[in-house]
Amino acid sequence: MFKSVKNAMAGIFITLFLSSSALAAGQFDGVTLLVGTWGGLWKDNQVENIVSKFEAEGGKVEFVTGSPAANFAKIVAARGQAPFDVVEILAAQVKDYHELDVLHPLDLSLIPNTEFLSESRYNEWLVGSWETQEVICYHKDKFAEEGIPVPTTYRDLVHPKLAGRIQFPDINSGGGLTGLAGVTFAEGGDETNIEPGLNLVKEMNVLKFWARGGETMAQFESGDIIASVVHAGWCLRTKKLAGQNVTTVHPRINDELVGVASEGWFGVMKNSKNAEAAQWYINQFISADYQLKMAIKTGLVPVNQSVFEAMAEDPLVAEMIVLDPEKVANQLRVDYSKVIIPDWTDQWNRAIAQ
Amino acid sequence: MWVRWWILLIPPLIVGFTLVAASQFVFLRASFFEDLGLGRVGDELVIENYVQFLTDGFYLKILWVTVKTSALAALSTLILGFPVAYLIARMRSSWSMILLAGIVVSTFITIVIKVYGLIVIFSANGLFNQTMLAIGLFDKPFSVFGNETGVVIGLMHFTLGFGVLLLYSIIQTIPKSLESAAQIHGANRWRVYYRIIFPLSLPGVTAMLLMVFNMCMGAFTSAALLGGGLVFTLPVMIQRIVMMDIKYSMGATIAAVLLVSVIIINLLSIYLLRRLRAAHLVVV
Repeated sequence: MFKSVKNAMAGIFITLFLSSSALAAGQFDGVTLLVGTWGGLWKDNQVENIVSKFEAEGGKVEFVTGSPAANFAKIVAARGQAPFDVVEILAAQVKDYHELDVLHPLDLSLIPNTEFLSESRYNEWLVGSWETQEVICYHKDKFAEEGIPVPTTYRDLVHPKLAGRIQFPDINSGGGLTGLAGVTFAEGGDETNIEPGLNLVKEMNVLKFWARGGETMAQFESGDIIASVVHAGWCLRTKKLAGQNVTTVHPRINDELVGVASEGWFGVMKNSKNAEAAQWYINQFISADYQLKMAIKTGLVPVNQSVFEAMAEDPLVAEMIVLDPEKVANQLRVDYSKVIIPDWTDQWNRAIAQ
Repeated sequence: MWVRWWILLIPPLIVGFTLVAASQFVFLRASFFEDLGLGRVGDELVIENYVQFLTDGFYLKILWVTVKTSALAALSTLILGFPVAYLIARMRSSWSMILLAGIVVSTFITIVIKVYGLIVIFSANGLFNQTMLAIGLFDKPFSVFGNETGVVIGLMHFTLGFGVLLLYSIIQTIPKSLESAAQIHGANRWRVYYRIIFPLSLPGVTAMLLMVFNMCMGAFTSAALLGGGLVFTLPVMIQRIVMMDIKYSMGATIAAVLLVSVIIINLLSIYLLRRLRAAHLVVV
C-alpha cells in the first residue's frame, strides 16, 4: 500500500516536471541572436525592453556594437559572412547592402507591426526602425546674452560671434552624410553637386566635426560650443541629461522644405541561421511600446505612427521635434541612390582638411 | 653538454612572424591591386595607388602634416622630458624612485583617458582657459580641438612618460664625476650642459627622439580625437579610407607609405648621426 502511494507520488512529480518544462519551453530555445547596433543608451534600451522578452522565449541576445559604418566594414572584411543576424542600416548604406547581396528576404507576416508603419518604411528586404530630424541645436541663454539672432537657416551659423563655437557632424559620423546633404540643398546643390554645401561648411568656422553625437552634450557642458548641427535627439538629451538650456531649430532648406529627416533601417543577414528570431526582434523594435519608450528617452522619431499622439504629451519632445505629419512630409529626404559616397567623402576630406 | 638554446627562439619567431609580418604582408599586398570599392580589389598587379598618392598634393600634404606634428611632438618631449629625467637621475634621495614609479604608472594610463583629461583642462570652462582669461593673458579661450597645436600637445602627452624613462636611462650612464670635474675647473652650469652632458647624451637622445617620433607617426587616437575632423594625419586618413570608404587598397597604400617614410627618416637620422660622429661633434 505504502509502496503504491510512493509510486503514484513519483508519477505525479514526473508528470508535473515534464509539463512545467513544456510550459517553460520558449519558441527560441537555444537560439543566440547576434544584433549589430550602436552601444551605450541605444543598446541599453534594447536590453531593457526587448532582450528580456527574447530571453523569456528561451533565447539569448549578443550585441555587436559599433556604428553602422563600422558594422558594414565588418561584413565586407568577413566577405559577406556577417558576424550578426540582424543589423541596423543607415539609409545611405542601403545601396551598398544590396550591391553586396548580403540581405535575407523578409517574411512580413512575421513582422505584423509593419501595419503601423507608412508604406515607404518597409519592403521585402528592410524594415524602418527610426527616423531622426537633423536640426540646429543652440544654447538659448548664450545666444540671448550675446545678442546673436536665432538661426533659421544653416547660413545663419556664419556669424562672427559663432566663429570657433559651433560643431558640425563629421562625414564619418552617423549624421555626416545627412548634415552635408542639408547644407548642400540649402545652398542650391543636390546629390550630384555638393560643392555649395562644402563651401558653406568652410565658411562656418567650425570648432570641431563631431564623430559621435554624444560629443554635443559634452561640448555644450564644457562651454566650448554654443550651437551644433546634430539630430534633435542629441539636443533633447543635452537638455534632459546635461541640464543645458538648449533648443532646436529646423532649418529652412528652400521655399518648400523645412528641416532634414534621416532614416534608419533593420535588415536580416543572408547568412543568418536565426532569420525567424531576427524578424521577431525587428517586430519588437517597431512595436508601439518600444518605439514610444525609445522616442521619449532618445529623441528619435518613431516609425510606428500609432505613438505620435502619446509622444506629443512629452513637453520637451513637443518643443524640439516636429510631429505634425504634414510638416514631417515637408522635410528634406536625400535620395541616396543618386549619391556616390566615396566621392562625397573624398570631396569632404579635401575641402575640410587644414 | 652542449645545449641548442637557439631552439627556444623558434616559437616566438613563428608567433611574431604570424602576428606581425604575415598579417602586414596580406594587407600591404592589397596596395598593389586596383581598388574597386566595398573592399574589393582587382586581379592585376598595378602601382596606380602609389602613383595617386605621390602625385596628389592632398595626400602629400597629409604626409607632411604627419611628419611635422610627430617631429614637433618628439622635440617637445625632449625639451620637457630632459630636465625632469636629469633631475631624477641626479637625485640622491628615495624620491627619485617614487618619481620614477609615478612616471611608469602614468604610462599605464590609456591614451583615450589622457586625451580626455586634456580636453577637460583645455575646455572653455576648464582650468587653463579660466586662469588665462582671469589674468588677462588670453582674450578668448584657447582650444586644443581642430588645430595642429592641439594634436602636438596630445601626441606629446602620449609620449612624455616614455621619453622621460628613456632619457633617465641615458643620463644615468653619464658619470656625475665629469660634471664635478668641469665645475671644479671653472665651468658654469650652462657650459657643463653644453660641453659635457649634451655631447655625451646625444646618441641616446637621438635614439629617444627617433623612438618617440616613430610612435607619433603611427599614433591614431590623439590625432583623431584632438584633430576634430580638421587635422588629418596618415593614421587618421587610413581609418577614414578603410572604415568609411571601405577602400582597402588605398588604405594599404597609405599604410605602406607611412611605413616606408618612417624607415627612411630613421635611416637618414642614423646616417646624420654617423656623420656627426665622424666629424667628432659627438662623443662615441
